[in-house]
Amino acid sequence: MASRNDNGKPNLRVTIIAADGLYKRDVFRFPDPFAVATINGEQTKTTTVSKKTLNPYWNESFDFRVDESSILAVQVFDQKKFKKKDQGFLGVINIRIGDLIPEIGPDADDQMITRDLKKSTDNLVVHGKLILNLSCNLSTPIRAGQASSSRPTLGAPSASNLSTLSAPAGDRPSSAMSGVNNNALVPQPSLSHHPASVNAVPSSSSVNGSQSRPTSQLSPFEDAQGRLPAGWERREDNLGRTYYVDHNTRTTSWNRPTAGGTAAETRNEREAVTQVERQRHQNRTLPEDRTGTSSPTLQQQQQGSGAGSPGGAAANNAAAGSSHTAMMHTGATSPGSGELPPGWEQRWTPEGRPYFVDHNTRTTTWVDPRRQQFIRMYGQNNTNGQIQQQPVSQLGPLPSGWEMRLTNTARVYFVDHNTKTTTWDDPRLPSSLDQNVPQYKRDFRRKLIYFRSQPAMRILSGQCHIKVRRSHIFEDSFAEITRQSATDLKKRLMIKFDGEDGLDYGGLSREFFFLLSHEMFNPFYCLFEYSAHDNYTLQINPHSGINPEHLNYFKFIGRVVGMAIFHRRFLDAFFIGALYKMILGKPVTLADMEGVDADFHRSLQWMLDNDISGGILEQTFSTEDERFGVVTTEDLIPGGRDIEVTNENKKEYVELMVKWRIEKRIAEQFQAFKEGFQELIPQDLINVFDERELELLIGGIAEIDVDDWKKHTDYRGYTESDEVIQNFWTTVRSWDGEQKSRLLQFTTGTSRIPVNGFKDLQGSDGPRRFTIEKAGDLSNLPKAHTCFNRIDLPAYKTLETLQQKLTIAVEETMGFGQE
Amino acid sequence: MSTKRISKEFAEVSQSPPEGFTITLPPSATLHTWHIVLTPPPSTPFHPGHFGIVLTLPTDYPFKPPVVKFITRLYHPNVTNDSLGNVCLGILKPENWKPSTKIAAVLEALMNLMIEPQPDDPLEERIADEYRNDRAAWEAKAREFVNRYALEEPVFPAS
Repeated sequence: MASRNDNGKPNLRVTIIAADGLYKRDVFRFPDPFAVATINGEQTKTTTVSKKTLNPYWNESFDFRVDESSILAVQVFDQKKFKKKDQGFLGVINIRIGDLIPEIGPDADDQMITRDLKKSTDNLVVHGKLILNLSCNLSTPIRAGQASSSRPTLGAPSASNLSTLSAPAGDRPSSAMSGVNNNALVPQPSLSHHPASVNAVPSSSSVNGSQSRPTSQLSPFEDAQGRLPAGWERREDNLGRTYYVDHNTRTTSWNRPTAGGTAAETRNEREAVTQVERQRHQNRTLPEDRTGTSSPTLQQQQQGSGAGSPGGAAANNAAAGSSHTAMMHTGATSPGSGELPPGWEQRWTPEGRPYFVDHNTRTTTWVDPRRQQFIRMYGQNNTNGQIQQQPVSQLGPLPSGWEMRLTNTARVYFVDHNTKTTTWDDPRLPSSLDQNVPQYKRDFRRKLIYFRSQPAMRILSGQCHIKVRRSHIFEDSFAEITRQSATDLKKRLMIKFDGEDGLDYGGLSREFFFLLSHEMFNPFYCLFEYSAHDNYTLQINPHSGINPEHLNYFKFIGRVVGMAIFHRRFLDAFFIGALYKMILGKPVTLADMEGVDADFHRSLQWMLDNDISGGILEQTFSTEDERFGVVTTEDLIPGGRDIEVTNENKKEYVELMVKWRIEKRIAEQFQAFKEGFQELIPQDLINVFDERELELLIGGIAEIDVDDWKKHTDYRGYTESDEVIQNFWTTVRSWDGEQKSRLLQFTTGTSRIPVNGFKDLQGSDGPRRFTIEKAGDLSNLPKAHTCFNRIDLPAYKTLETLQQKLTIAVEETMGFGQE
Repeated sequence: MSTKRISKEFAEVSQSPPEGFTITLPPSATLHTWHIVLTPPPSTPFHPGHFGIVLTLPTDYPFKPPVVKFITRLYHPNVTNDSLGNVCLGILKPENWKPSTKIAAVLEALMNLMIEPQPDDPLEERIADEYRNDRAAWEAKAREFVNRYALEEPVFPAS
């Protein structure tokens, strides 16, 4: 090329000013970016390394010898990954000098340019922009930064610096040049590299119209109200909803950060919210847990045993307060008499509340073991004579001649071969427990007992040690849990938080699953996203592939969900109904679509309900998928793109479409999740539950504040003072936690309660308060509209009728998305 | 979803466009973005303006409605009075949208909105009030906007 033959005196000064919105390839770390500039693959200059940022600022100048046909390539790499295969490639731009400066000479104008970074041939995802200045005026001294060190320190061993650096300079530009050709020949569907696409909303700008919002002209660090606080970024998800990312804490929020609030205030607010969530989480239960979740918290244990818990005083008070509620709820703390069983010890929380430590099983409980009549009653039947860790869940063997079986709908029933009869009732349970409770409730408890009594669900001997740093819980857990075998993960969990004392007698693992579920489902990591249903239930992010390692993470998450169930801990996470069904291997239906995309659901429903003859829809058995700006046609059945959708086959089309939209797009991710999950929980065992029960199994049953619920309820056709409404709340108040949760699932589609209570209840179209509408014939059951958090309640005449109808409605309606 | 349907609709609409519309595809773009120029009839204060409209078809079209934006500013109760040009069109609202609705019908609705604004479902409350209470002032402002923004051929943004 011409440049080489010239006398070699530099004639172009390239200033690499900055890059903006680089792609964050590593889930946990920001890159250490540096840029390499080459002319025709020959003259190579390198900037210094900018540490831990997606928006590096270099402002370094380099002089080159060029002519109009020279190609300037600037590549950005992550120094931390420079020795890896892809060299931490973060993008490239290629410029033909003549395109910008037609005539190189002292008179040419300076060119300030901003270019989108492009992919290289290996097709790794990139985004962001590079800002450069080209100048032919070389008379001023070159800009600082490069005089001291023009090369990045590539870390030890320093001797290899030069060789590692020269490697990309030598072999990269050729591929970079072919990149130019690619770009020229194949007009890339203009991947809009706006930073909103961490969520992998890579929508080419052509299709992006629906999502371009008023704010789209503004930078991601500001909006119509002005600049966001430092470290915050505004993004849009693939449903066009704006959310805010706090890079300081790696959290996301639907609410705009308050500009006035100081960092400390924001942090305090968030900590307060976390504390409320932690409290809720610790108070969750399942129907057969007598000792489980309401046992002393970590802090209480620590304080009780004399170890100070740093800064936990407020937490303790809160915890103690709610524990008292739990105590009244379970009614199990009245003291027993006589000596404690061997290996047991009585301790007191700082508030003076007694609790009991079972050193045999290393568990704690509020329940005085002397009061556990269940153990007494059934302990004698227990042939192996071991001390029961969970008295109620392991009731011991069935009486002689009895057998436990499952119906084809996975309901547990009991066969008494002595009398050749069958019954739903567990012969080991006192019948009083089963009186006056709805069938589904008895079923759930029995299923749990059955599930937990299976050999595959028993804790193995030995210990599973997991040591994590609180501040890096996702990263450390991923390493620790991925490293261990599934068998090891079934041993007694011993969680240790780095730098904190405390033996894991339950409190620590509860805290572990609480914190970890907040991190791994955090949309910040692009593995999960909030569903369209209510902005808080979670679904797998179909574009998680933006992280090349995503399948390993999904397998890990599957393991964690499995571990939580196996070790009887709850996750603070709620999924869309369809995901629970998929875990159970149940087919998804059109009704499940509603939680995923209500508008889409409406259109498919319209198709089914209306005459579509005459080809008015012009649809075939195929669909178009868009990933990272590339649109492909996918057949729903072989050759589907040539098969018209008609009135006759539209039902099949809708089924296939729903399957595609919900399952196919996340098939890889879900497969990885399921692999991890099934390493701990066998499919045939989890299948005893239905999708609502699975939600309760994973998330637990919350304490529901009926006063708060009632306070934030709207009425249509009724007023609060109407007798029906009064009867409604009387009924709800008379119910226990599970029944209330079931009612919530029935009416809102999830048993999740917003952190700040019912005032923040969301519908598919924004905030939607719980609503009771006067509708329906007196002979009908109440009906729910989960999208609108609404229940249609006929004006039943008596309390008894209302109780009966409401119970049946909640009990009989299966599946989410009643509409 | 439906390149086939979109190409057919484009062929129909571009060959025999409804009165007052010119429809083109931006150079080297997919079928999902249409450039539309609307010329309202002399009976409206928007005459003799030419209004640029970008119509975007989502990937899920026709299961999701198209998105319509004015790129030429106009003084209208149902169009945001800013550079965004968002339009409030009844048939495009998600709850009203039917997958059988054709783009030709959307264009017809747009023309009707130019001829007869809907002050009861406004995007600009203040302009709607003026339209209802002081029609002459509204018309004067609408004409002023036409003179200021809509006399030249609209320039569509590069997509």
